[in-house]
Amino acid sequence: MGQTDNHQGCKRFFYYPVITGLLILLVQGGPVPVGAQSGSGSDIPDLVGVWDGGGRARPVNGPNMPWTSDNFPVLNERALAYQEVFDEALAPKYDCVPSSSPALQYDPYFMDVVQWPDRVMFRYEKDDQLRTVWLDNRTPTPQDHTIQGFSVGRYEEGALVVETTHFLFDITGFDDYNGIPSSQLKKVTERYWREGEELRMTLTLEDPMFLREPAAYTTRWLPGPAGYKLQGYGCDPVQARRAVKFMIPKYR
Amino acid sequence: MKLFLSISSLCALLAMILLATGVPTNAHHASAPFYDDQKSVEAIGVVKEFVFRNPHAFLYVDEENDQGEIISWEIEMGAAVSMARRGWTPDTIKAGNQIRVVGPPSRAPGTFGICCAELTRPDGSPITFPGQRP
Repeated sequence: MGQTDNHQGCKRFFYYPVITGLLILLVQGGPVPVGAQSGSGSDIPDLVGVWDGGGRARPVNGPNMPWTSDNFPVLNERALAYQEVFDEALAPKYDCVPSSSPALQYDPYFMDVVQWPDRVMFRYEKDDQLRTVWLDNRTPTPQDHTIQGFSVGRYEEGALVVETTHFLFDITGFDDYNGIPSSQLKKVTERYWREGEELRMTLTLEDPMFLREPAAYTTRWLPGPAGYKLQGYGCDPVQARRAVKFMIPKYR
Repeated sequence: MKLFLSISSLCALLAMILLATGVPTNAHHASAPFYDDQKSVEAIGVVKEFVFRNPHAFLYVDEENDQGEIISWEIEMGAAVSMARRGWTPDTIKAGNQIRVVGPPSRAPGTFGICCAELTRPDGSPITFPGQRP
């Protein structure tokens, strides 16, 4: 009898909160948390999941993608000078240094998005990169200068708007193909929203140190395979540099 | 049943093509500075090593030329993470396998690189890898 009472007590203690929690989730329409960020619940798009940014979703990146003749930025004299002397063999990617915004988002790999009340996390399969977008109005410190910068975000009209600053100088910080650097003044604004099953994003790039005006591209991701978990990338620097010897060197 | 078999055969053929083509569709770098896509070379030899890593897998093939010299080819492939999604594993190609590789050659004189290669058996027939996904 005592055991039964304890069992009933356990049921009350464990089951009722679970049922209540499930009801709350049901009313909210899913597990996307509503937290400290600005915007009402209806403003918050469900971005959670593994997303496929490969060739199935969009044209694969290259010297003319996603920056085409229509959206290629106007470079200033400093950028043109850097581009002129740039040697592909110098590119940090051949030492497994990850690409940064705005190239990272267009790399043809998978990414995993997690939405928490105070942050959104973007994990990229390529180079095992993690970007945290803070939604709690925190401000960066001078120590927050990193290759991926410091990101803050807000929900706005059904989209997540991310603003990233505090980048480090990156000799190939524009993309992986055109030999254009980016500076500490680089600012990247991303707007993510859902179109049915797709995840879409418009990225706007500003960098007054190298660009005469902002430039932008829009792209999409498709849902990844059900149950897929990102693999570890573990970039191998020997493999990353192996093909460099196949180029005819620009400088001797 | 006939239709089912046809669809199955088509799927198998597509899977074989995907597996047998080392095209780095997930390029870590542009191929143009490294390889001349206006040319094509063929290498037929024995697999020495298959390195299944990121950002690019590499296949090493030794070929004996007409003078009896060994040419060591380095074949650049896609990223292991992307190839794994298409069914590749580190054991898909084993040392000692006979293989034929066709693709654009590396640009620098004296190097023996090939990119974006089509991989087949020496007689040109498709390779069916163990563990191949339907």
